[in-house]
Amino acid sequence: MKATWFFIRKELLESWRNYHLLIITVVFVIFGIEGPLMAKLTPDILKMATGSGLTIKMPDPTSIDAWQQYYKNMTQIGIYILVVIFSGTISNEVAQGTLVNLVTKGLPRYSVVMAKYIVAYIQWCLAIMMAFLISWGYTSYYFPDNRSPHIWSGMWPLLIFGLLFVAITILGSSLSKSNYMGFLTSVVVFIVLTLLNLFKSTGRYNPIALVTDNIYLIKGTEQISHIMPAIWITIISTMVIIYLSVLSLKYKKL
Amino acid sequence: MNNADIITNNLPLFIPLIILEVGLDLAALIHIFRHKNYRMGNRILWVLLTLLVNPIGAILYFIIGREQY
Repeated sequence: MKATWFFIRKELLESWRNYHLLIITVVFVIFGIEGPLMAKLTPDILKMATGSGLTIKMPDPTSIDAWQQYYKNMTQIGIYILVVIFSGTISNEVAQGTLVNLVTKGLPRYSVVMAKYIVAYIQWCLAIMMAFLISWGYTSYYFPDNRSPHIWSGMWPLLIFGLLFVAITILGSSLSKSNYMGFLTSVVVFIVLTLLNLFKSTGRYNPIALVTDNIYLIKGTEQISHIMPAIWITIISTMVIIYLSVLSLKYKKL
Repeated sequence: MNNADIITNNLPLFIPLIILEVGLDLAALIHIFRHKNYRMGNRILWVLLTLLVNPIGAILYFIIGREQY
């Protein structure tokens, strides 16, 4: 336990020194601002694009549009940026041989996986929460309507989905020596889950529901109990995947 | 309504965006000019990417272009 704690501190320091924290902060603050901004500007942009000859009846933007932009940013490019940042976390150290000293001095290998997972997940939460708070502030300032009463219930699923997605990235990273394996594994899993989502009957059980149903949860047209099975499946598969990553690093030549 | 109007009407949104993007670009440029070797690419490529592809260029530089020790 003590070893894990020390490794967590080393990981946080590393993330600070190699600019990962800086990038995550800046990018997600930008995303937080962009949601309300795009919602507010879309009618103007359309007006400019079509000129004065053609008039399109556009409904005034609401807070729902702002949140829709936010979740679109978070669940597409946001996820990929985080995965690119985390994807080399174990494979890099194995490739450079920097783990050898620590492991021979008695650092348990499972500590490495646990610490890396925890630090990556902390960064995930930090990024998502920061963008969320900024987006929340601007949205309630620019769109003071009550069409999105349950903003927090749209938020939890995204944070829980992070548990699974970070675990998959770590597994991919621990399986291979290549930097890109973690990224590739996560992208493939994301695509497979999205394809499974085409079958309507899997909807409630598919972890992808946690990042596709947020807007209905916010509106209140769907209750969080509807996707409860998906939440349990996400948590259980996260544990399995972390166990697999520990196994994979255990039998690996450093 | 023209471009300038759109920006002046939404200053509270644009000011932090501009500060962040310019700040990130400056950080990347300073880092690029202080270092000679990169993991991939060369100085001209990274300077151009940082300046022209905003803000993805600077992010890419810090993630895959920066030499790691």
